[in-house]
Amino acid sequence: MSVLTIERRFSAAPETVFAYLTGNRNLLEWWGPEGMSLRAEHLDLSRPGPWSSSLVNAEGGIHKMSGEVIAVEPPKFVEFTWGWHNDRDERGHESVVRFEIEPADAGGTRFVLVHSGLPDEDSVTNHGKGWTSALRKLERLANP
Amino acid sequence: MTSSLPATFAALGDATRFAIVERLLKHGELPVGDFLDVGPLSAPAISRHLKVLRKAGIVEQRVMGPRRLYSVRPEAVQSIGAWSMSYRDFWQNSLDRLELALSQESGRQ
Repeated sequence: MSVLTIERRFSAAPETVFAYLTGNRNLLEWWGPEGMSLRAEHLDLSRPGPWSSSLVNAEGGIHKMSGEVIAVEPPKFVEFTWGWHNDRDERGHESVVRFEIEPADAGGTRFVLVHSGLPDEDSVTNHGKGWTSALRKLERLANP
Repeated sequence: MTSSLPATFAALGDATRFAIVERLLKHGELPVGDFLDVGPLSAPAISRHLKVLRKAGIVEQRVMGPRRLYSVRPEAVQSIGAWSMSYRDFWQNSLDRLELALSQESGRQ
């Protein structure tokens, strides 16, 4: 198991950043890499309880995901579990995501993402074994 | 044409086809004759491999006079990239989009 930490600074105020990190409509604007779109479904991280959504890729492939908001305190942090579902809708390995925010200089926001309980195979959908290096090679060629 | 990832992987799970896709990504659009040296294969055999790649939605064909030109469909590679993406890339990419959304928000105010 491994932990991933990413820190960023935003010029927007903590309240605005928090709304983007937890609100349904706002999450749809950014959660997921370029080229993938997120489905609204039951996506609300602003209150404790279950959430679910799907990421849809350019080919129409659907990756369902779900979890539960464990703790939330606006505009300071939100912590939730996250698991992917396979083609038979069975939920796989569960990891935990925590978004922390605090006021920074000039009315801005310091943001820290802590993603823990990650499988050691460092691939989002966690079934890249054996394929990963070959695929990375193709990706590099496709995006020089 | 769309394809599913299992079909994409099945088609790429062959050394000759993988080499064809690699070459297309490196050089862009190519005619069938440019693949004759990827292995000890005849032109008809190469054509059969290209047909498999087209059926899987990885490669597309364009007819130009007497020639058929082949190229990789960008969507196919993008799907593979998203599928095999590391969590770090997933979040960095997402947070770039968040930053953009936040700056657009402040522009509206």
